[in-house]
Amino acid sequence: MKKQNDIAIIGIGVTKFGELFHQSYDDLVRDAAKQAVNDAQISMDEIGAAWLSTAFPEIGVFKGRSGMDLSEPLSLYNIPVTRVSNFCASGADAIRNAVNALRAGECDVAMALGVEKLRDRQPQDSIVKMMVEYGHPFLQKGFTAAGTFAVYANRMMKEYGITREDISNVSVKNHLHGSMNEKAFYRKPCTLEEVMKSPMVANPLTVLDSCPTTDGAACVIMVRAEDVDKNKHHPIYIDGIGLSVSTGWDLPFFDPYHDFLSFQATKDAAAIAYKQAGITKPIDEIDLVEVHDCFSIVELLTYEDLGLCKPGESKDMIRGKATQLGGQIPVNVSGGLLSCGHPVGSTGIRMVVEIANHLRGNAGDRQVKGAKKGLSHNIGGPGAIASVIVLNNEN
Amino acid sequence: MSFIKDYNIAIPRFRITDNSLHPRLGRNGQHSICFADEDLITLAFQAAANLKLETLNSKLDGVLFATSTPVFKNRYHASFLADLLNLPQGILALDFTNSTRSGTDALLLANTLIDSGEYKNILVVTADVHFPAIGKELSTPFGHGACAILLSNEKGIAEITAAKSYSSSLAEEFSYKGNTIQYDPRFSRDAGFKTNLTASLKNFITNPKAYDAVILNSLYARIAGGIFAKTGFEETHFAKDTLTSKIGNTGAAHALLLLVNEIENEKKNILLADYTNGTNFFEIKKQSTIQEKVVQNQLENVEFITSYQDYLLLRKAGNYNSANYETKEMFSSEMMQEREKDTLQYLKGLKCDSCGTIYYLKSTRCKKCKTDKFSEFQLSKQGTVYTLTSEHYFPSSFPPIHMLVIDLDGGGRVTVQQTDTMYLENNKIEIGSKVKLVLRKMIENDAKPNYFWKAIPL
Repeated sequence: MKKQNDIAIIGIGVTKFGELFHQSYDDLVRDAAKQAVNDAQISMDEIGAAWLSTAFPEIGVFKGRSGMDLSEPLSLYNIPVTRVSNFCASGADAIRNAVNALRAGECDVAMALGVEKLRDRQPQDSIVKMMVEYGHPFLQKGFTAAGTFAVYANRMMKEYGITREDISNVSVKNHLHGSMNEKAFYRKPCTLEEVMKSPMVANPLTVLDSCPTTDGAACVIMVRAEDVDKNKHHPIYIDGIGLSVSTGWDLPFFDPYHDFLSFQATKDAAAIAYKQAGITKPIDEIDLVEVHDCFSIVELLTYEDLGLCKPGESKDMIRGKATQLGGQIPVNVSGGLLSCGHPVGSTGIRMVVEIANHLRGNAGDRQVKGAKKGLSHNIGGPGAIASVIVLNNEN
Repeated sequence: MSFIKDYNIAIPRFRITDNSLHPRLGRNGQHSICFADEDLITLAFQAAANLKLETLNSKLDGVLFATSTPVFKNRYHASFLADLLNLPQGILALDFTNSTRSGTDALLLANTLIDSGEYKNILVVTADVHFPAIGKELSTPFGHGACAILLSNEKGIAEITAAKSYSSSLAEEFSYKGNTIQYDPRFSRDAGFKTNLTASLKNFITNPKAYDAVILNSLYARIAGGIFAKTGFEETHFAKDTLTSKIGNTGAAHALLLLVNEIENEKKNILLADYTNGTNFFEIKKQSTIQEKVVQNQLENVEFITSYQDYLLLRKAGNYNSANYETKEMFSSEMMQEREKDTLQYLKGLKCDSCGTIYYLKSTRCKKCKTDKFSEFQLSKQGTVYTLTSEHYFPSSFPPIHMLVIDLDGGGRVTVQQTDTMYLENNKIEIGSKVKLVLRKMIENDAKPNYFWKAIPL
């Protein structure tokens, strides 16, 4: 394995997340890409290769089926552009592919851009429609995305004594954080009672335990560390990046060994990233974490899978407010998916941009003070795929 | 002649009372009603699936299916059912439709085929799911049910000692090109029902005192007493129809349900007469005692539909669920259903030859021990809930849809929907609950056959 932190992020950009009825898919690509290019102080033509992450073209605006949907709005032609699709880990996987191409010497400047345009359709026309009408007509038919995670919640409540309050308190925390993020979709804090009394989606997860599907885009520009120009760049280094596919779409629900208490993919991806980054005690070594809180239970489960606490102890972290801004290890200070919304292909890159802002000391009201190392995590395809990226502001 | 080797029945769990259908009429009837995902195929399967075919000395050679409410046209229910039951391809499979007498028509032919010596074992299945037009529910004592009878040349529960059919040219009420025709009732009952029954009784019966149970399945059974009396029957031998008041008249299935009921009432010599536009007669002698009584069991396992609105929802004539979103046709292809039949239809899994792990879905390598040798393994239809959730946003007439992750007895894990969940409070299932799998329609808005497994509490 090559020496790590050899790749630096020199440009970051993120659009507002939400119901962006006034912006098209192409507008979102332009918005995020221009921010990142300007931040890196390069010209668009210096980009040598690009990766476009859109997870669900067919339930969005039918854009993002190939890399050309990045080239066209940016007039970025005559370079390799690849579309990356790996469910909710698509954005993180676009970054991983760009990192590997830089290491391989295919290009000197790489762009990873995630974009998803889901709100040109009614909510029930997007992810729910996909779960209802597409896929295998019989196997696990009856689930929406919420249900595929709610079965974990019920097993964890039974096994570990996690309560509905613990689960919903994740949402309360992240909505509080989201109120400080000008790019988030939901910017209103909420109370525990509001979360628990909001309409049930999939028992025990309510509407406020579930992230909204939104529009949004995020972009990072990366170079090899030796190409960083310290005079103009504020580089953030990639210490470790891991991705793992550890089960399938159907298998978790038909695998007699699946315990519904953890995501093996997260454990695998974290092991890869920690090894590269030389991390042995993540809770002591990492200053802030962005985890994939598509549903609030997933954040609790991920504390354990990332090794921030022992199995069964995630409830203590939320009860002790250890993961709140100001706590021992703030998690989802951006507001997470619960507040920001979840434009699937861009979420992983949005998280990296968030961490980068903290490591640069540019995160405004929600700045994690003195943050040096951060981690972003995505889980996709009901727990099958996970990505973990460890970022550092020192070379 | 032939022998009843085994039988079973299927009556849906749900009932609606005449009082719920029309409170002001003050009637006391009840009707068995299919849940939103049941139909005559699922009822027929439920009745036939657990028959003890393995006790036969020679193989089954035919399926005769009868209904007055067919769902297929130009496709045989009998061959569809034979396939669901995993019977051999190319087996004799015939449909009898178009009449409420078709149930005993099928029995009559099965008996004749076995009597001929050419066939040894024939499965007779009858299922009827008649829904009257909305608002006309009280004009007919409708009810849903199915009955499966395994007829054999081997000795069994009862013997059919005589069987004959007598046609009649007159029908009391019938349909012509979709129009319902009713002749003057006094004329058609006299010239049709009474004349046919009188003549056929005279021909079929030699010793009226020989029977301890006389079953007449007819909408006019009430006025038949005199005819039977004239032939020398005693009124005390008339079998009381205790089913109709509890489940309604189940059409083509009704005569056979009444027969099974009398067999379970321990009657020794049964006369079965089934009248619709002609009469089928059977003389049946009981041979052995019944091990497990199924009729009473299914009559007791009941949940009442509490309002006409719920009944309309069940018939999908009401409003859909919260999301206001109807299920459209799911993607499914004949090719997929055919090639995945062993898994989807017959619940055949794989067992790892090395570590013994049992998988429901096909796998190239064992996830646990990484070896690649598997043997076929028949999964059980009972199990324990490992975890679950209730989906409030998946389209359904009766949301939420309960999704259950089930560890099957003997190994293997499946994830299926819970069914019969009309009223949440009556359907509490928790982690650790015992459940069993039943065949149902996968989605309610069924534009084509889509049968799969769902779970109900054991």
